[in-house]
Amino acid sequence: MKRPGRTIAEIVTVLVAAVVAFPLYWMVLAAVKPADEIVSTNPRPWTLRPTADNFVHALTVQNFGRYLLNSVLVAVLVVVAGLLLAFLAATALTRFRFRSRTTLLVMLLVVQMVPVEALTVPLFFLMKSVGDVAPAFGLNHLGSLVLVHLAFSLPFAIWMLRGFVAAVPVELEEAATLDGASRFRFLWQVLFPLVAPGLVATSVLSFIHAWNDFLFAKTFLISGSDIQTLPLALQAFVKPDQNDWGAIMAGSTLMTIPVLVFFVLVQRRLVSGLAGAVKG
Amino acid sequence: MTVHSPTAQHRSVPLRANAPRLAGQWARRAPLLPALVFLIAVTQLPFVATLVISVLRWNALDPTNTGFAGLRNYLAVVTDANLRSSMLNTAVLTVAVVLASLVLGLLLALLLDRRFLGRGVVRTMLIAPFLVVPVAAALLWKHVLYNPEYGLLNGVLTEVWRWFGSDHPPQPDWISGMPKLAVEAALVWQWTPFMMLILLAGLQSRPIEAVEAARIDGANAWQVFRYLTLPHLRRYLELGGLLGSIYIVQNFDAVFTITSGGLGTANLPYTIYQTFYQAHDYGQASAAGVVVVVVSIVIATFALRLVSSLLRNEAS
Repeated sequence: MKRPGRTIAEIVTVLVAAVVAFPLYWMVLAAVKPADEIVSTNPRPWTLRPTADNFVHALTVQNFGRYLLNSVLVAVLVVVAGLLLAFLAATALTRFRFRSRTTLLVMLLVVQMVPVEALTVPLFFLMKSVGDVAPAFGLNHLGSLVLVHLAFSLPFAIWMLRGFVAAVPVELEEAATLDGASRFRFLWQVLFPLVAPGLVATSVLSFIHAWNDFLFAKTFLISGSDIQTLPLALQAFVKPDQNDWGAIMAGSTLMTIPVLVFFVLVQRRLVSGLAGAVKG
Repeated sequence: MTVHSPTAQHRSVPLRANAPRLAGQWARRAPLLPALVFLIAVTQLPFVATLVISVLRWNALDPTNTGFAGLRNYLAVVTDANLRSSMLNTAVLTVAVVLASLVLGLLLALLLDRRFLGRGVVRTMLIAPFLVVPVAAALLWKHVLYNPEYGLLNGVLTEVWRWFGSDHPPQPDWISGMPKLAVEAALVWQWTPFMMLILLAGLQSRPIEAVEAARIDGANAWQVFRYLTLPHLRRYLELGGLLGSIYIVQNFDAVFTITSGGLGTANLPYTIYQTFYQAHDYGQASAAGVVVVVVSIVIATFALRLVSSLLRNEAS
């Protein structure tokens, strides 16, 4: 037996979800619509002539494939480097006791609090100087994006991982030590696999962070068209006189798919990870 | 604040009494060092550099005329009408978007916090807007929803008016008619799912025994929400508000894409971008950056106070 109030609440939830997700449906729809239907003044919520033309156009004519590769490269490097650094840092902050540990923890939060626009000017010059020493990490190179995204996703990653590392019982470490495992071995062969769910959740967030970025890409990649990342390329599609809406929406769809897939895979872990971050 | 009792974990630290003290101290810090050194190099040193540049007279269009400017850049930031309006815009945008998405997120989280057929699908649908790349979302809202000729919103208006036999539906130009609301609506659409996720995590960690006990004692749904759920959610509301503020204060994508900073919607990130890349006034751009830091700290504190005081009143 259900109370009528519940049924109404459920219907409301489903309706709200439909309204919220509708623009996304519209985006995918525009991506598969033929060109003349997209700019029709009488838009219909379906199409009878679905086409892959827009995707083909985005990937070939607009060189989207290349930008996709650039974005993937930046995001993967950020995730891999971020995982190693955040894992080590979270372990030290959770497992080892040392002076000023609390201060360091608070500092991590402070780092997160500084808005990026306060840093764009000096970071621009920093990347310029980095470029003199290591050109691959300087201005107009994808490496510069790896450096900044790594820095801006690390604090949150460390905070989130802390909860997962803390959940691994200390007895396990003692047992490993008694069995003659070095601390190094314990770290990589015992702890690392045990916090894997946390690592997955953390890397999804770092990935999204790097994948979504527009400001830094716009700031650091000034010249050279084949080093652009996806958000930049998407913006560049939009031209004042002739807009290829089908291709823009196809591009947006392509960009959203990886994030969506990752997210669905780790949904549950992400929620528990956030709860862990609050509980500390 | 989200700094929660790190001392509680001291208990879990294994004893390492035999290690030489000083060397041991550093060995324990060692795994943390790579991340820390890197963070300081990329985020803290540039901030110090921002502070320094902000008191310099440095415009790349006038390279010979550089020097110490004192507080003149700050004076320019505070007196410049454009910068002042962009400061106000940033504050309004942040507070409006964070509060609206917190309230909506709370409602959705409450609706989702019960089992029903298709909950998984509904949850994924509700989270989806957060997963769209911000630039793509902004483009979507600008051209696919707001477009006065072939946009979805006006298409819906046409359809609804036709049901009532009218051939002259209103066809507003959303972006030029209500530019600020247009940007805010797009951002609320993207950020509500984030708040919902955090609050849902909070609801699911709620001790169910207390709720059941209250029900047995005759508390109704509203009383349970007001005296049990809301106080429990306080930390989660604070976390959501804090993270939301941090991100919205920095928002650049939506403003850049939807209005290009025109129609009085320019916020600080956009204005700094312009000062830097078009006016090439590095000193002034840095001063504005420092102001952003101050403003965001003020906003975050204000938002936290507001949420906490609301909850305190509710509980008393």
